[in-house]
Amino acid sequence: MKKMMILFLAAALLFPFSAGAKTLRLAMDADPVSLDPHVQLSGGMLQYSHLVFDPLVRWTKDTKIEPRLAEKWERMDDLTMRFYLRKGVKFHSGNELTAKDVAWTLARLKRSGDFKGLFEPFADPVIIDDYTIDIKTKKPYGLLLNMCTYIFPMDSKFYTGTDKKGHPKDTIVKTEWSFANENESGTGKYVVAEREQGQKWVLKAFPDYWDKNTGNVDEIILTPISEDATRVAALLAGDVDFIMPVPPQDFDRIEKADGIKLITMTGSRIITFQINQKRREEFKNAKVRQAMVYAVNNAGIVKKIMKGRAGVAAQNSPRGYQGHNPALQPRFDLAKARQLMKEAGYEKGFTVSMIAPNNRYVNDEKIAVATAAMLSKIGIKVDLKTMPKAQYWDQFDAQVADIQMIGWHSDTEDSANFYEFLYMCPNKETGYGQYNSGNYCNKRVDELTLASQSETNVEKRMAMLQEVEKILYDDAAFIPFHWQMLSWAGSDKLKNANDIINVMNFPYFGDLIMK
Amino acid sequence: MTRIKQFFNSFFFYRFIRDPVAIGSFIVLAVLFISGFGAPVIAPHNPYDTTTIDIMDSELPPFWYPDSDSRFLLGTDSQGRDMLSTMLYGMRVSIFIGLGAVTLQAFLGITIGLIAGYKGGRFEAFLMRVADVQLSFSTYMVAIFFGALFQAAFGMGLYENFAIPMLIFIIGFAEWPQYARTVRASVLGEKKKEYVEAARVIGLPSRRIMWNHILPNTLTPVLVISTVQVANAIMSEAALSFIGLGMPVTRPSLGSLIKAGFDFIFSGSWWITLFPGIMLVILILSINLLGDWLRDFLNPKLYKG
Repeated sequence: MKKMMILFLAAALLFPFSAGAKTLRLAMDADPVSLDPHVQLSGGMLQYSHLVFDPLVRWTKDTKIEPRLAEKWERMDDLTMRFYLRKGVKFHSGNELTAKDVAWTLARLKRSGDFKGLFEPFADPVIIDDYTIDIKTKKPYGLLLNMCTYIFPMDSKFYTGTDKKGHPKDTIVKTEWSFANENESGTGKYVVAEREQGQKWVLKAFPDYWDKNTGNVDEIILTPISEDATRVAALLAGDVDFIMPVPPQDFDRIEKADGIKLITMTGSRIITFQINQKRREEFKNAKVRQAMVYAVNNAGIVKKIMKGRAGVAAQNSPRGYQGHNPALQPRFDLAKARQLMKEAGYEKGFTVSMIAPNNRYVNDEKIAVATAAMLSKIGIKVDLKTMPKAQYWDQFDAQVADIQMIGWHSDTEDSANFYEFLYMCPNKETGYGQYNSGNYCNKRVDELTLASQSETNVEKRMAMLQEVEKILYDDAAFIPFHWQMLSWAGSDKLKNANDIINVMNFPYFGDLIMK
Repeated sequence: MTRIKQFFNSFFFYRFIRDPVAIGSFIVLAVLFISGFGAPVIAPHNPYDTTTIDIMDSELPPFWYPDSDSRFLLGTDSQGRDMLSTMLYGMRVSIFIGLGAVTLQAFLGITIGLIAGYKGGRFEAFLMRVADVQLSFSTYMVAIFFGALFQAAFGMGLYENFAIPMLIFIIGFAEWPQYARTVRASVLGEKKKEYVEAARVIGLPSRRIMWNHILPNTLTPVLVISTVQVANAIMSEAALSFIGLGMPVTRPSLGSLIKAGFDFIFSGSWWITLFPGIMLVILILSINLLGDWLRDFLNPKLYKG
């Protein structure tokens, strides 16, 4: 590592000005916790992985899969997908990427506490030759390719052996010192040149990077700034070129500032209220639930409370997900809602309790207050209590209230994740329906969701997931609100900042072009 | 009738009528009290009745702006509630909680402080250590404890209906040592004085000496801290509302209204936080000025001629 760094620094000293060195000063709310990508499954670590490593495949901005280290792939049978690796890809240590590294990385992922859940369906891969590998699953698994976006091949030779303390170099350690926590060798565009945890990171472009057709940033200086207002101020003052995330209350200020661009994008975190059918007899009646959905003007909430900075939702899956059903539209209609209440026999209404966090989601408390007001118009009087997130999740799990707020982002970027956790019949043993505080239970939803897991035909899978979405919509299993927005802001020096961001919130800084 | 006549002829009234600050703050306070407690009659809307609120009316500016709505004189908040009405309703809650909590504090504190100071000895040491223990729990801990207890016992729905008495109890219970310490200190100063000795010599029972002889002489500092404590109680309530242990968010008090509006002060909707803020300042200032005057009146050493 050290030798390589010296070599690299020498190279950097020789060439920097000839190529017109570009430095990107980046401020994030927190820096990655480690140099080992398998230590933690979090947005921050995956953002880091995209800088220093490369995945087999990755998401594009329009949620398609594009080749990275895998040039192409083909499905061999229900359990197997064959990947053809790019040739001549070098790790930062100088070793060449082979199929062995991919198999080694997959094995390590299955050992990582945070990732093993996601990689549970995977069986041992079969290496065909140096550049061909068959990735196998235990059962047919429809999300195989999605999961490959999490496989960032690591340098198996570099991480093999024992470190100075006598531990194997590939040990995954969360907090203490370990070889992998302090050293890296990936195939990514950037090499970690300097790192002071919590203070400053310097990343330099890797001269032997395989992808010549990328951006022109030679150096990235990453500074974590946890305070929202300070981060925005640093951007406004020109101390940094790019910040993420941007606090919503400063959107207008940044938009009005000269030389700075605000980039927002409808994310995939859905905000919903769950209606508990176990606590309330009334909620067992689908008409009451529908009436509640009809009574909630979520477009109004997006316009007035979210100031238009969210996508109005009528279902869980945002556009681009396989389960997104374009036929499902928001349905605010107060007259219809009152009519439904009358049909259900609850014309006089009733009183329910509701809880919501007040610092978890953007404007969560205001959304809850507005919802309480809206429901009171169809005679449902709401006793609302809001609390900080530190207390909220215990109360949520204990199901203390009849209506509870939850926001959900799918780890797999797939619709089935919503259904598995939020709408399948709660089952302590399998873990399905773990966050289904509405106790909504529909056999057909369970059946289709489970079937979708092993369906490898995309067309068929889409039909299944969209049917689930339709059932949830018709049954009014939940009250949908909106998809929260993701936000970034950068100076005008960044020419294609709009193209490198995506709904997963993994900006591809390698592709960034600066003036 | 004679009572009233007696009052108008009293020295108290004589001094009051000659102090413009006292009259001014009394009038302001009276107006605030009347408008607060008369809110259901005076206010143009009922913001606690959620059926009348429409989110589409939210953040409308006060009447002098061109895009204001004539229904909402001082504009609306982020939920579409009429600011003027919400402030009046909120002030009623704030005054109620402030006065209620201070009454409870004063009752507990004065009784305990008086007995502790007068009896002395082990009894005093015990009571004052209890006060110290009580002081070491912050108001929020007491609130969290009783809030959780209440919710577990009666469920969430009932909590909303009993929010005001609960808050009065919590804030009153958490801060009585302030009074107990002050009263005890003054009692210690008074009880060695000749008039107490004299009362004891003629054989008056200690109860009578405590309540009728010593207490009136210790009331000056009590009145002073009372005015501060009313303001404190109103602010404690605002803080408790923020962490979800105070008034339900659908029935905002003056304090929670200010807190909610604070998010909007930079985004241009300044009226959501400024109007209730001004109202709270006026309310507390007039209470304090009146308290000040009362202290001057009650303290013979401060006679200004």
